Amino acid sequence: MSNNGNDSASSSFIPALEVRDLRKSFGNVSVLEGISLSVREGEVISVIGPSGSGKSTLARCICRLEEIDGGEVLLYGDRIDNGKHSNRDIARLVGMIFQQFNLFPHLSVLENIILSPVRILGNSPKAAEDKAMSLLERVGLCEKKSARPNELSGGQRQRVAIARALAMNPKIMLFDEPTSALDPELVGEVLDVIADLAQSGMTMMIITHEMLFAKEVSDRVLFMDGGKILEQGPPDSIFTSPQVPRTQLFLQRMLAHVGKELVQAHSDERTWTHDA
Amino acid sequence: MTLDFSAITPYLHMLLRGAVITIQASSLSLLCGSILGILVGAIRVSPFAPLRALAAGYIYVIRGTPLLIQLFLIYFGLPSLGLNLPAFTAGVIGLTINSSGYVGEIVRGGIEAVPKGQWEASKVLGLSYVHTMRFIILPQAIRNMLPAIGNEFVTLIKESSLLSTLAITELTMVGQQVRSVTYASFETFIMVGIIYLVMTSITSLALQYIEKRWTVD
Repeated sequence: MSNNGNDSASSSFIPALEVRDLRKSFGNVSVLEGISLSVREGEVISVIGPSGSGKSTLARCICRLEEIDGGEVLLYGDRIDNGKHSNRDIARLVGMIFQQFNLFPHLSVLENIILSPVRILGNSPKAAEDKAMSLLERVGLCEKKSARPNELSGGQRQRVAIARALAMNPKIMLFDEPTSALDPELVGEVLDVIADLAQSGMTMMIITHEMLFAKEVSDRVLFMDGGKILEQGPPDSIFTSPQVPRTQLFLQRMLAHVGKELVQAHSDERTWTHDA
Repeated sequence: MTLDFSAITPYLHMLLRGAVITIQASSLSLLCGSILGILVGAIRVSPFAPLRALAAGYIYVIRGTPLLIQLFLIYFGLPSLGLNLPAFTAGVIGLTINSSGYVGEIVRGGIEAVPKGQWEASKVLGLSYVHTMRFIILPQAIRNMLPAIGNEFVTLIKESSLLSTLAITELTMVGQQVRSVTYASFETFIMVGIIYLVMTSITSLALQYIEKRWTVD
């Protein structure tokens, strides 16, 4: 890649994230079979599809938790799959939210958040703490700053994890099934935080089984199956008139139990909260 | 026969002085052995395969050979390479190396018991391998390791009795001296045993206390 696109005037033409013909296998099981994808700055995309379709592996390849077997991953036009970037370089570009939160259990909420800004970015503890407190305010957990992760509910843990990721000022946020490990009544509070983040203009890729949420919050929805992107488009067209038979079948199953709510979702805001 | 401890009471202060040497040798070896052991254990799980193999080989040899032979190699063997170590130094080095092998294996187990998600979260937050080890993995691993480390400490105190073979005047050596003067073998070694028991009990209790403190918060 040439680096003549570094000035801000031309950076808007460079996709925030670009994936070209990405291939990944585990042993002789092929998980990603040539994924190509481009996400522009500020865009929110949701990735849906059955378990084992390669959604998580895609996210894990983008944040380099997995080495890729073929293709390219570019962040702001810069290839990050060639091993030339340190963990620190990647962390400044991409934030990752895990299904299992992965908070550090031996550290307080505040310590979880400021560890990397202080150790990796070299921020002063004071500055990192101020930033952490404003992030905790954003996710509504200021009063929990001294708590240990095991004193928090699942929803609170995930909100801390989001604050922790944001403390690194990433340009792109990846969410790998952020609410799949939560009790149903705690899903809403996490989705609210993610939706606010989407509103703020963050570039995001959300892997989710929350169909209503995906429909409301995303600019574009991708349907993956068998390691391929089978269909993509604006949420309205994907959810109401999917073209590919596999997508139709998947959505039929997923939406069977929320059919009525989906109709309402057109008018109401934030109908993904399950407490109705 | 009857036990007559009055025969050895004049020598009790000698035994206690021996116990002090035992404590000195053991605690020095515990400290150095733990540091070296954490290093060996960390290398044992490092991402670099040749280093990993080296640490595995070290642990394999240390755990597969008698401590007595290791002590003899250092004290009697090294002089043939021109390295004459004082007995106490040789003994402490031997115990240190020996316990580092066991601690290394405990550390490996403790590290591997930390969930994989902790490594992944650290990586996406930009932490290097060394940072991840130091700030995330080891603090959690040490908690997993404490019970096994406690056992190792107690074992080490007991095995320091082998230092008597290097003519170090630790508790067991002094016991043999007292016996040869008093001929009260039974009484002497009962007393020696009691002193060891007191030292290992205190160590166990202290470690149990630390374990409780660390796991509560």
